[in-house]
Amino acid sequence: MNEKVEYWVKIPIGPIHPALEEPEKFIITLDGERIINVDVKLGYNLRGVEWIGLRRNYIHILYLAERMCGICSFSHNHTYARAVEEMAGIEVPERAEYIRVIVGELERIHSHLLNLGVVAHSIGYDTVLHLSWLAREKVMDILEFIGGNRVNYSINMIGGVRRDITEKHRRAILDMIYYYRQEVMPKIEEIFLYDPTVEARLRDSTVIPKRIAIEYSAQGPTARGSGITKDVRYNEKLGVYPDLGVKPVTPKEFTGVIKGDVFDRMVVRVGELWQSMEIIERALDQMPEGKIKAFPKDNMIIFKLKKAEGEGIGRYEAPRGELIHYVRAEPGRDGPAKWKMREPTFPNLFAVARALVGEQLADVPVAIASIDPCLSCTDRVAVIDANTGKKKVLTEVDLLKESIKKTKEINPNIKAKPERVGGVGL
Amino acid sequence: MTPEEFAERIKAKFEGVEIKITENKLPHPRKRIWVDVDRDRFKDVVKFLKELDPTAQFSIIIADDRGDKLTAKYHWEMFWEQGESLSVVIGTACPKDDPVLPTITDIFPSTLPYEREVQEFLGIKYEGIPDPRRLFLPDDFPEGIYPLRLDETGVKMVKNAGHPYGRKSK
Repeated sequence: MNEKVEYWVKIPIGPIHPALEEPEKFIITLDGERIINVDVKLGYNLRGVEWIGLRRNYIHILYLAERMCGICSFSHNHTYARAVEEMAGIEVPERAEYIRVIVGELERIHSHLLNLGVVAHSIGYDTVLHLSWLAREKVMDILEFIGGNRVNYSINMIGGVRRDITEKHRRAILDMIYYYRQEVMPKIEEIFLYDPTVEARLRDSTVIPKRIAIEYSAQGPTARGSGITKDVRYNEKLGVYPDLGVKPVTPKEFTGVIKGDVFDRMVVRVGELWQSMEIIERALDQMPEGKIKAFPKDNMIIFKLKKAEGEGIGRYEAPRGELIHYVRAEPGRDGPAKWKMREPTFPNLFAVARALVGEQLADVPVAIASIDPCLSCTDRVAVIDANTGKKKVLTEVDLLKESIKKTKEINPNIKAKPERVGGVGL
Repeated sequence: MTPEEFAERIKAKFEGVEIKITENKLPHPRKRIWVDVDRDRFKDVVKFLKELDPTAQFSIIIADDRGDKLTAKYHWEMFWEQGESLSVVIGTACPKDDPVLPTITDIFPSTLPYEREVQEFLGIKYEGIPDPRRLFLPDDFPEGIYPLRLDETGVKMVKNAGHPYGRKSK
């Protein structure tokens, strides 16, 4: 009499699926609507960045690292630069540390705004997607103003930064913070903290309890949403962050409870938006004068690093969590003998896959969006954008033209004429 | 617990283990502990870490091809609840003709995906790994080829492998 017939169904979500932004595969075993097992398969965008890195020198890798991910491009080359600096014992000027903080926090703002939109989109609240991405344009413009590009701003150099923050940048950043404080943040808080529909959908869905989060080493907002007070900027006493008073943000300060569900993860992101703006303001106030590079010329870096020996680890709190790079040098080589990185999405994916067990199938898209997955980092791949307008597919050349036009609008004084490299076809 | 105290604890428990403490030149200097242990005692050291701090957070396995041996370095962040945490790197090695390391998924379950990654990219076999399937590489990838090895079992540079934008070969 105890025999119960079970109808288990296996459903693949991905590699290409409307609910996913990037290719990854979840094989979900279902009992009715209830999930009983989630299996993750990665590598649909594997580019072999580590392998390429073995054939590049230290400076080349800065730009390669940046192209691992389109969103946290600053985090990657920042962490890589830190690993090399630790390996070779290079001291970074204090002003450069402050500029790294400012750009890093600007990147955090844009990444979190993006994720707020993506989660709203996955619960069908598309208005929020459009409005939060509209608000994100402001910080993207600032990043373009500082670094010259909307993504891949190439701020870092080994032993410092490549671009200074001057008075006009400072004014633009303060304007942006004013705009966010007055216009954007009240609306975002209204939606993600007080809206009953959003709360009904996100509360108690895909709970990652504290025990699971510790066991699976969840990182970043995913861990802090479960009440883990862990933040690399704080735990590592990274750079000048301790002088700026950085603290891990947990949902307790906003809602009073920690449940570890999707709602809490979004609350952490909202809290970090506030925190990032405060950090930027303090950094702009405290920033000392001085040089921004330890080495005035880039070829001196290669010359010094060729003699370096040893290994170094760089750790940084990327918008999604702990990012870690490792570099080992051999004397006589102008590139690292080993370069290895780990991205926060990697452990977070497995933590959320574990947390999905016992939940409903309909929670899968929002659960996956709530860890802000960046599969491009995890697989180390390229994100491809196809932009169609007026029934014409924009080619690489058109996109380059458009971006040059936009840069000239923002800053008419730029003289450089960028050219397309490496191609023979067009 | 300071890094020096931690090193003392490890030294007292495991004889002959190599420990060094490095410091970088940040405005707030940061110390890291590098432990090197043979593969027979590796699992005991990891167990000891878990005893010291049951909430230790595992970060990464750095596996490396060093000529006649394969090394693997594991990074943990410990005591993160008390402000400044401890950054511990524990390294071990295995010879290339017998590339076997003990799995530590029973102590730290979060290491499973990393061990699967190392297994397919460098060919270190993990003894007792609960799930030895491939993670990143496709299932029809040839056996016996480990992309990140530097010897003849690694992948070779292919010039202009059918890439439309590739430079014309000289």
